[in-house]
Amino acid sequence: MSSYFAAIWYVLGLPVLGFLIQSLFGKAIVRVAGKRVAGLLAVLPIAMAFVIGVVLTMNLAAFAPENRAHVSTLCDWINIASIKIPFELRVDTLSMTMVLIITGIGALIHLYATGYMAEEKDYTRFFTYLNLFIAAMLILVLGNNLPMLFIGWEGVGLCSYLLIGFWYKDVANAKAANKAFIVNRIGDWGLTLGMFLLMVIVAANANRFGAIDGRFLSYDVFLPRLGEVLKTMPTVTTIMALLFFVGACGKSAQFPLYLWLPDAMAGPTPVSALIHAATMVTSGVVLLNRLHVIFELSPVASAVVCVVGAFTALFAALIAFGQTDIKKVLAYSTVSQLGFMFVACGAGAYWVGMFHVTTHAFFKALLFLGSGAVIHAMAHNQDMRNYGKLAKYLPITCWTMFIGFLAISGVAIPGVFGFAGYYSKEAIIGSALANTHANIEGVQLGQYAGWTALGVAALTAMYMTRMTWLTFFGNKERWRDIPVVERGHAHDEEHAAELVHGHVIETAASAPVTIATGDGYKFEGEALALVDDHGHDHGPDVHGFFFTHDEVHEREHADHEHEHHELDGNHIPHEVSPSMWIPLAVLAVLSIFGGWYLAQGDRFLDWLYPGGKLDYLGEVSEHPHGVNLIMLSAIAAFGGIAAGLLVYFRGLPKKEGWDESKWSPARLWARNQFGYDAAMVGAAVDGGADIATAAWKGVDIALVDGAVNGSGWLARTAGWLLHFLQTGYIRFYAIGMLIGAIAFLGWGSYFLFFGGHK
Amino acid sequence: MEGVPLIAYLLLGMFMFTTGVVGVIIRRNPIVIFMCIELMLNSVNLTFLAFARYMPMQVQGVTLPQATMGGQMMVIFVMAVAAAEVAVGLGIIMAIFRLRNNIDIDEMNLLKG
Repeated sequence: MSSYFAAIWYVLGLPVLGFLIQSLFGKAIVRVAGKRVAGLLAVLPIAMAFVIGVVLTMNLAAFAPENRAHVSTLCDWINIASIKIPFELRVDTLSMTMVLIITGIGALIHLYATGYMAEEKDYTRFFTYLNLFIAAMLILVLGNNLPMLFIGWEGVGLCSYLLIGFWYKDVANAKAANKAFIVNRIGDWGLTLGMFLLMVIVAANANRFGAIDGRFLSYDVFLPRLGEVLKTMPTVTTIMALLFFVGACGKSAQFPLYLWLPDAMAGPTPVSALIHAATMVTSGVVLLNRLHVIFELSPVASAVVCVVGAFTALFAALIAFGQTDIKKVLAYSTVSQLGFMFVACGAGAYWVGMFHVTTHAFFKALLFLGSGAVIHAMAHNQDMRNYGKLAKYLPITCWTMFIGFLAISGVAIPGVFGFAGYYSKEAIIGSALANTHANIEGVQLGQYAGWTALGVAALTAMYMTRMTWLTFFGNKERWRDIPVVERGHAHDEEHAAELVHGHVIETAASAPVTIATGDGYKFEGEALALVDDHGHDHGPDVHGFFFTHDEVHEREHADHEHEHHELDGNHIPHEVSPSMWIPLAVLAVLSIFGGWYLAQGDRFLDWLYPGGKLDYLGEVSEHPHGVNLIMLSAIAAFGGIAAGLLVYFRGLPKKEGWDESKWSPARLWARNQFGYDAAMVGAAVDGGADIATAAWKGVDIALVDGAVNGSGWLARTAGWLLHFLQTGYIRFYAIGMLIGAIAFLGWGSYFLFFGGHK
Repeated sequence: MEGVPLIAYLLLGMFMFTTGVVGVIIRRNPIVIFMCIELMLNSVNLTFLAFARYMPMQVQGVTLPQATMGGQMMVIFVMAVAAAEVAVGLGIIMAIFRLRNNIDIDEMNLLKG
């Protein structure tokens, strides 16, 4: 029976196979059969994995609810003393839900990427990373023990890093990748400490967990009895829960650590859709669901989760109002929606968190892919101030994205039908308002979080209206104002365009970090920049690490060709190819009906938590007393949209134009993330420099050098003191010998006569 | 020999040794210093022989090392070593004299720190 579920290894194995094909034979396949075949070979494994996942899920659903967990072991992995950690996968409702999201959305995004990246030189490198990401993410959700979760956790972090820095020739992208990786390390610190603490607790109470075969860290062994062990130690439980939450904060971009996610938008748009919106960033919510027993037993930690989630939701929603880059708006929207998920998890409604993960995966992937289509159509210009009235040129993109907009705003006709986001968001707010769990000392923090979330829902609808209207509607095609430049003198014209138009068109790409003569490294205080004499930033491939000399020349030639595609006033946007709009259409359908389908008769709740009962919290209500939440959340959605329409119906308001000195101070402040990012990065960089200086002066110079020099000084001084004994007179030495001999004899005779026997 | 007690040999040996020590310390001529060293060695020889002569043959039925002529053997060794030492030492003194035309021991202070 459980051997049937060994098929889960195909779900994991296919992306790995795809990764191997792309990495080992990718270049050859592109050369022999073209990019289409290579792309197909990347999409196919994920799609097949999705099909197998669907079949497995249907089989799993055929079991009785209490039997819906199966473990399939491949081999021993770690085997130390009495602890055994096998390489095993777990097929249960939570993991299969995530598998369907990852492979399903993943396959759509792969398909989209074959079109989006069609002109990319490193086509197979992109799909190598993307397939590897899917494999790592599957290990994360499918692994049956915490160390396996950790492999996946780090694996997706690595792929995220590789894909953010995919266009590594631009130093800004490489820096964004570094930032994401480094900030995530803080989260991993919490996760590992939490894991160690859990290991200690489990190992110390090994007899109570009754693991006959030593698999202490496997979910099926420790989870059922973890609660009764932790019940006796509330402080440890809270510490453990908070440590795991730090881990979740890092991966899921919650408040203190959210700052990497907006920078992660430096990666290609399919990556932003797949990794930084739909799957990887939700792994924190998955972790909380997996280990919900710990959070159930710690109201304090749950209150922290709730409050951090609500604050993040509000904070990011406010920042979104100040952004003009279409992907940045969506990035902050993602941070905000992740905050919603944590509000639900803090209130004890873990399944609601997963519900929002699911619906958010539908509509946020849709929105990101749509924005990618817009960016693609607009010659890779991402600034919404250059858009406007695009609905005419991009009808499919526009209307699918409009559905995504309605879904994220939570639009619904109360009691009849709602878009995907409505059901999950309503459930989040409801569970928070009805909260009895997330309290510290009787303060109903969960309820405050709930009211905040309701407000943020309105804000969400408003900033999404802003984005949609600035992009697709309004009264003006604003890119027509960009002066048309003649092809041929890219640099001068870029400059001229800046002067005429009064703003910098491409800030990140065209600004060289330093200009130095000759080829080589130049250290510029904070950045190690590779510079050549054209003033272009180059990655390591200038020196042919990955490519032969000829290939490097070919690529540079292609780069120069590419630079001529800039957005200007004569630009005519074209609708994207079918490989790109088919995923949009599928996601649009999911965004319309997905939430409604899953919410029918508590289908999703019964699937994840059969009977709707948690071990310690019992039944968590999503329906607060005395609040007509169904009306309130619909009002929030329509109110937000109406407010947004009032401001943005006619297009870009003057107060948000190119001249940022005319912006209101609050919006400008929001644009700069309320100074938080700068402060954090400043503190980290300057603080790091201060610590390094202190270590250099205090430890290296004072202690290490002090010890070395001090021992030298000691030897010299001792020698200087002793040199007075070296008189050069033989009789002086003779007297010394005499005194020594007498002393020695005296000492000997003392023992001879007085020592020995009494 | 009957009339001379052991203490007399030891006192003579002590006098000779002290004379030698004082001579080594206060004299500046290396030849004289060598003679003083010989004096010390010979005082030790004398002490060895005196002890050897006065040591009983047997104590409580155990034969003592006197039977193996231990003391006398040591004196022969000391004399042989002293002869070799003087030969080497006088050679060094000759070499120094040829080098510097002077054998005052206080002038030889190249090792002064």
